[in-house]
Amino acid sequence: MNKISIISFSILILFLGIGASWVINKANESDSIPPPVIRKIPDFNLTNYDGKSFGRDSLVNKISVIDFIFTSCPGPCPIMSKNMKELYKQYELHSDLQFISISVDPDYDNLEVLNAYAYANGVTDKRWKFLRGEMEEIKNISTNGFLFMSENLPAGHSVKFVLVDNNANIRQYYDGTDKASISILRKHLNIFLKDMNHKL
Amino acid sequence: MEKYFRFSTISIIVTYLLIFFGGLVRVSGAGMGCPDWPKCFGRWIPPTNINQVPEIYIEKFNIVLAWVEYVNRLFGAVVGLVILLSCLFAYLYFRNNKDVFYPILAALVLTLVEGWIGSILVHSVLDPITITLHLLLALIIIGLLIYSSIRAYVVIKGDFEINSNYPQKFKWLIFSLMTLMIIEIIIGTEIRGALDISRKNHPLVKGAVLLKMLGSFKYAHTILGILLVSITYYMRNILINLGKSCSKLMLFSVNSMFAIFFIQILLGEFLVFFDVKPIVQLFHMWFSSLLVGLCVVQYTCFKISKI
Repeated sequence: MNKISIISFSILILFLGIGASWVINKANESDSIPPPVIRKIPDFNLTNYDGKSFGRDSLVNKISVIDFIFTSCPGPCPIMSKNMKELYKQYELHSDLQFISISVDPDYDNLEVLNAYAYANGVTDKRWKFLRGEMEEIKNISTNGFLFMSENLPAGHSVKFVLVDNNANIRQYYDGTDKASISILRKHLNIFLKDMNHKL
Repeated sequence: MEKYFRFSTISIIVTYLLIFFGGLVRVSGAGMGCPDWPKCFGRWIPPTNINQVPEIYIEKFNIVLAWVEYVNRLFGAVVGLVILLSCLFAYLYFRNNKDVFYPILAALVLTLVEGWIGSILVHSVLDPITITLHLLLALIIIGLLIYSSIRAYVVIKGDFEINSNYPQKFKWLIFSLMTLMIIEIIIGTEIRGALDISRKNHPLVKGAVLLKMLGSFKYAHTILGILLVSITYYMRNILINLGKSCSKLMLFSVNSMFAIFFIQILLGEFLVFFDVKPIVQLFHMWFSSLLVGLCVVQYTCFKISKI
């Protein structure tokens, strides 16, 4: 009796183990596929809060997470920036990942205001950029670059985080106010960063 | 009456399989495979391609994870039905036997609560405390099923503990085993949860390295584990000395417990010294649920012997 039960238990474990390993492998495989290229971002010309100019070339060879905000925004921006800040902290060892917040209210958000905003969000290095530019240019990059609706700026800006790869290609959009969506973004970031580390 | 015993046994088996599957969902990272509940991406049958996914969920779609999570939910529903059927048979044949009927009734109610906690898990984006509750409740359900099933067996086949004479301290040994085991499981889930948080804050760092970074409570897990093995070993010695005044079921249960504890320590150390392999994590969790079940068997045997 005892022998039979040990043998049948072992067989059960074996089957469960094989089945579970198969599922875990499948899940890992499906989780390590990077999202496909959506489109290439056209060239643009904006200014970082440190006064340096920032264009499409600044996206090359880096993984970027981009969002559109304005510093005096009462609604979703504080949540977005809080989530961005969390990512910024979590990835502090990864200098090939940059975070970019583009102001949709350039009249109010001059370089001084952006500096203060960066400081308030605990930015201590160059990994998180705060960009501004002419309203015309902002609208252009928002509409034609990121395919966002840009009629009602600043209030009507998107709450999405955009993942951009090291060739300035848009790969995926995430809800910058939704925990679950951001955990997917984290997963995708890890795929890209792993890939870049291998190439180095 | 035998029908009830058959169904309650089946419900124990399927519940254990469901616990295994739940663990599989956890280790394969499929917990958020469906972003909504009870539907999956707004559908009763999960999407099979990206075109069926609503725009708001588009980045969350992973066909493998969605189906792993959904099969878990469907299987959960099947287990619920099996327990419901058991409950009906219990009502037909055992409604006057409070040791059989009430536990299975409680198991049925708690199964519904378990489903509800499942929905909270999804809505809270896998809150760690809720994950632990989800597991603990599953263990309570399995305990109720086992107790009810053995009590029914005694009614059907007669008292197999009639010649048993366990020392009174067995009660305390079993009680402390159960308490320590629950504490051990909670510490285990804490380690698991802390590992997840650590992984989030240190992406791309190996699991084994992260485990080393965790606080000293991981040693409590090992120490308590050794204590549990010792208690089981002590109980086993007492039983062997009892000879014939001990039921086969009790001896089987204590022996299996001793063996599984031993395997558990090996698996645990494997996790620490080699990488944190998901499949090992899964069995480490599942075996602990078997241990709880065995402890309930011991409790039931002891209780029957004192009638």
